[in-house]
Amino acid sequence: MSSEENIKWINEQFKDTNELTMKTLEDEDKKAELFYIKPLIDVELLQQIVIKPYFEMQSETKYIRYLKALPQFQDSKSPEQLKTEVLNGNVVLFIQNKFYLLDLKFSFNDQTNTASVETTIHGSQLALSDNIATNINIIRSDYHQPTLYVEYSTIGQVNNHKLAIIYDKEKVNKNALNIITEKLQQVDKQVITSTVQLSNYINNKKYSLFPQLIMTERPDRIVYNLAGGKVILLVDGNPQALIAPVYFFDFMTSMEDNYHSFYISFFLKFLRYTGLFISLLLPGLYIGITSFAPEVFRTELALTIAGSRIGVPFSSFVEVLFMLFFMEMLLEASIRLPKTISATATTVGGLILGTAVTEASLASDIMVIIVSAVAISTFVIPINEMAFTIRVIRFFFILAATLLGLAGLTLALYALIMYLVSIDSFGEPYLKFNEKKTSKTKAGEEI
Amino acid sequence: MSRFYYYLIIINMVANIIASVPAILLHYHNDGAIISMLLSIAAGVLLVTLYTKFFLKYPGKTLPELLEKTTSKWFYLPFVFVLAVLWFVAGLITLITFTFLLIRYLSPEMPIILICLTLILSVIFGCILKTDRVMYTVEMIMIITSPLILFIFLKAYTSNSLNWDFVREAALYINQVPNWHSFSACFFLFLGAANLFIFNRFFTDKQKFGFRQIMFIVLISIGTLFTSYFIPIGFNGFEGINDLVYPWISTTDSIRMDYFIIERVLFMFLLFYLGIAFLSILIHWYAAVEFLKFTFKLEKIKYKDKVIGIFLPLPIFVAISLYFVTVLTEYQLFQYSSYFYDVLVFIFPGMILLFTYINRRMKNEESSPEN
Amino acid sequence: MKSLPRKIKGTILLFVVLGSVLLSGCAFKDIDKSVFVAMIALDVSDDEEKPYKVTLKLYEPTGSFNEATEPQYSYLSENGETLSEAIRMMESYSDKELEFGHSKLIILGEELVKDNKNKEILDFLLRRPDIQMISWIAVGRPNAEEIIKMIPQGESAAYPELFNYFDSNGTTTPYIVTTHLFEFRRNIKESGIDSVLPIIEINQEDQHFEVNKSLLLALNKEPLELDSLDTSIYNMLSRSVKHANLLIKEEGDHFIANIDTVKSKYNVNIKNKSEIQLDINISLYGSVAESHKPMKNKDLPKYNEELKKESEEKFKEFITKMKKNGYDPLGFGIDYKAKVLHNRRMSDEEWMEAYKKAKVNLTVKPGIKSTGSIQ
Repeated sequence: MSSEENIKWINEQFKDTNELTMKTLEDEDKKAELFYIKPLIDVELLQQIVIKPYFEMQSETKYIRYLKALPQFQDSKSPEQLKTEVLNGNVVLFIQNKFYLLDLKFSFNDQTNTASVETTIHGSQLALSDNIATNINIIRSDYHQPTLYVEYSTIGQVNNHKLAIIYDKEKVNKNALNIITEKLQQVDKQVITSTVQLSNYINNKKYSLFPQLIMTERPDRIVYNLAGGKVILLVDGNPQALIAPVYFFDFMTSMEDNYHSFYISFFLKFLRYTGLFISLLLPGLYIGITSFAPEVFRTELALTIAGSRIGVPFSSFVEVLFMLFFMEMLLEASIRLPKTISATATTVGGLILGTAVTEASLASDIMVIIVSAVAISTFVIPINEMAFTIRVIRFFFILAATLLGLAGLTLALYALIMYLVSIDSFGEPYLKFNEKKTSKTKAGEEI
Repeated sequence: MSRFYYYLIIINMVANIIASVPAILLHYHNDGAIISMLLSIAAGVLLVTLYTKFFLKYPGKTLPELLEKTTSKWFYLPFVFVLAVLWFVAGLITLITFTFLLIRYLSPEMPIILICLTLILSVIFGCILKTDRVMYTVEMIMIITSPLILFIFLKAYTSNSLNWDFVREAALYINQVPNWHSFSACFFLFLGAANLFIFNRFFTDKQKFGFRQIMFIVLISIGTLFTSYFIPIGFNGFEGINDLVYPWISTTDSIRMDYFIIERVLFMFLLFYLGIAFLSILIHWYAAVEFLKFTFKLEKIKYKDKVIGIFLPLPIFVAISLYFVTVLTEYQLFQYSSYFYDVLVFIFPGMILLFTYINRRMKNEESSPEN
Repeated sequence: MKSLPRKIKGTILLFVVLGSVLLSGCAFKDIDKSVFVAMIALDVSDDEEKPYKVTLKLYEPTGSFNEATEPQYSYLSENGETLSEAIRMMESYSDKELEFGHSKLIILGEELVKDNKNKEILDFLLRRPDIQMISWIAVGRPNAEEIIKMIPQGESAAYPELFNYFDSNGTTTPYIVTTHLFEFRRNIKESGIDSVLPIIEINQEDQHFEVNKSLLLALNKEPLELDSLDTSIYNMLSRSVKHANLLIKEEGDHFIANIDTVKSKYNVNIKNKSEIQLDINISLYGSVAESHKPMKNKDLPKYNEELKKESEEKFKEFITKMKKNGYDPLGFGIDYKAKVLHNRRMSDEEWMEAYKKAKVNLTVKPGIKSTGSIQ
């Protein structure tokens, strides 16, 4: 194509945006044109490595050779690629009827964050940043294996984010990898801004209750999972990475376990599982005991419960639902509170859910204790996704206990275990005891 | 030998400890029960060994598949259907026994249909899973419930109220003629190995089944039978044991946990045993659905491109169970289970003849392609 | 219905589920609509046609145990031809549902026990699945109703005091016999062992219970009362208790031995087809609790000898008293049955004869270790 036609073509592509800057570099006998979108470019770098040498070098061919040697140089394969790359912060140089691409993007969002969702006491508090390049930098610094393979693609037809699939080519679970790549190609949604949305779409199940992928912001968890053969997905603009496939027990491990000795981590793990059972079963157990079979517990305990329910106008399951809803609303509201109001909310929540409710005899003392125990033990679970799932399943257990009594509650627990065993996470069974205990797998898949 | 194989056998034994089997045994407590128990251990272990060795020869294949290869269609289709009925009845007995237990001791005011429905609804979804998922469920629930059940047994053995004189007195009734009904009831405990008819699909690797494994099964069976028969006698006396309708329930009701939040061990026992009964019903009905799938080729029944054939047996199971739960009395339940066990004593050893036939046919088929 | 968009169908389903939850019935009974029965008392009534009188003691739960100084109970009483009839009538007297699952003590009036209606009582108590088989059973003097109606001084609202007498968490003295319902049933039905029930009496002036005697019940025989000493000997022999006191008065020494470890072994020694001998070996280890004279440590062997002589005398007296009338609280009968094949045994009458004539071979191994803190 001749130069005028090319310039017209570029302007044609970008006619709807008014930010495409065209710069002409003219010297005695050479001419070059630059196209870029100004807010995306690091202007200083542009001046330093493109414009200044242009005027310092004598021949154009030398300049072109210089360009090709630059680290920011990218191969331009097709005209469509030009368009995407310009939107990605590249500069298009048009010299001697040829296009050259240089990646001069200025990123504001490449600072690493500190871990805010998954915190531990020991270890690095580094979390992923919003920029995919920084993230890959962090991951590669922690995982010094030549087999670490990064595949790039784009996702989201409208906002065209960069997507990276990272895995260790030697250790990866090939079956899961195939399923993931297959499913990714089928995703055709228009706007994908977060990895979580991505997880919903690759799942193929709109109504799945249990999370099929772990979302994490910690590089040390990512590195452990890479060593265990998992596949990591990163989306540009998101500080969370997705790990697939996943086992139920992965949700109950925290990176803290690796910083403590065996007995302490065993004790912490035991604490977490007890917390899981308490937060699932305790409200249903309360309903079953008070309303269906009060003779199960010791006499003293039964008398205490009966005594504390004196004057409460609701039946037990209404009381349980009422207190649980209050607690859930409090938890939900505390995420969105501006910092100035948070103190008020704590007081209000504490007062309402605490003494005032029992003084007004709207709920029994025991109920308050149960609700606080449930709230605390829900957050013992290290991964938040599972904690949210538990909060929803708890209501199913309350339903089972209300309709069918203690036997119904026990059977609901067994039925839940059966359901968990029957679901797959990218070809791997969700709930299963793994027998293979080589040192490599232990690092990634907690047993 | 894979641990899942032991789960199959143990579940069948343990699930019947509090069902009809000890009631039948203790009914004949002074009429030849002890010697029948010993005989049944011998016969049962023999059966288990023969079955397991047969199935180890064909890893990963279920009995219907083997039958399809070696016998004619007129034989195996009705035969597999009869097997489906047998397995369904086995699960049904456990289901009805447990429903009666629940309604008697846990929630007497609930309508019996609702209790039965609760049990059925939690199991029915498991009947259409894949074989390996069923085995993982079995493992998971066994890990949760068995420590507590073992703890209760331990408490029973070490209790002060267990009078070993009664146990010794009962054991001295050894020199009597064995009784047919008690023999068949004990023999039923060993028929967990028959679940291999379907679950052999899961064991695709070569397994070892030698002397050590057989000894292990003998030990488990002795322990189970001993606990099942003698512990109720120790707590409740020898002469009066015949009056108790559910001997094990009365026994666990006689144990007291002084320092725990639940005082009557009965409730803890009942709720955790619910898990074992759940697994037993799941295994039996899963096998029944698999047999039916084979007989009627249920995967081929499609409606609008979705396979609905596998869901067809489920409403039938539910309807039959609900009908029987309302119609049977406890006495009829014990009588019919006793007859059922009696019938099984003829059928399952008879299958060994079938196995030798299959062995011969398979050997012929192996050697004939070479010619 | 098929044409409705999915969202509407989903919302309808949600409301149906919610509605069924909030309107559910079937066995849902709140805990404040049921009242727990603490104790059951069975007596003889004055009515000829309705010979049984049942009294129930019901808990009334308080909101806070710190504020309640006195426990609150209510009582229901009714005569009936059978025990179940009386209870059904009483259900109509209370506005709440009677829950028997927590009743831990069953008291039989003395008259009722002497009337020999044990079989009917046992039948009622056992047939109901909600009465615990680990509940304690005792005899009340003069009658059961008075016993359960008394609230002793110092009782807290959390737990009736009478339970602590039998609970191993409460007091452990050798004068109290603890019998559970299943033990009672077992011992009554078996012909080789007889049941012992504690007797509860009231001390009206001091407002507390006295439980230090027991009643020995056997089939087809009159109940035999054991006084405090006999009760403690029975407890020591049957290994139910570890602590006891024995008064030794021999050769000028007058002291009380505090036994803290009791090891007893008893069995039947079969001499020949119709002759048996009862072998009892009992070891008593302890120290001296009280003495009228100063005691020297080096005389401990002498004190042990005295203990041996005195306790052998007392125990032998107890066993002989039991044997004379054919009572067998320790269970020699089942011990015999456990040793001999069933078709070679003596019949029950032959056993009773042999038992009455049997020789008693009793040895006590004394083990007083010290004279206490002073000599």
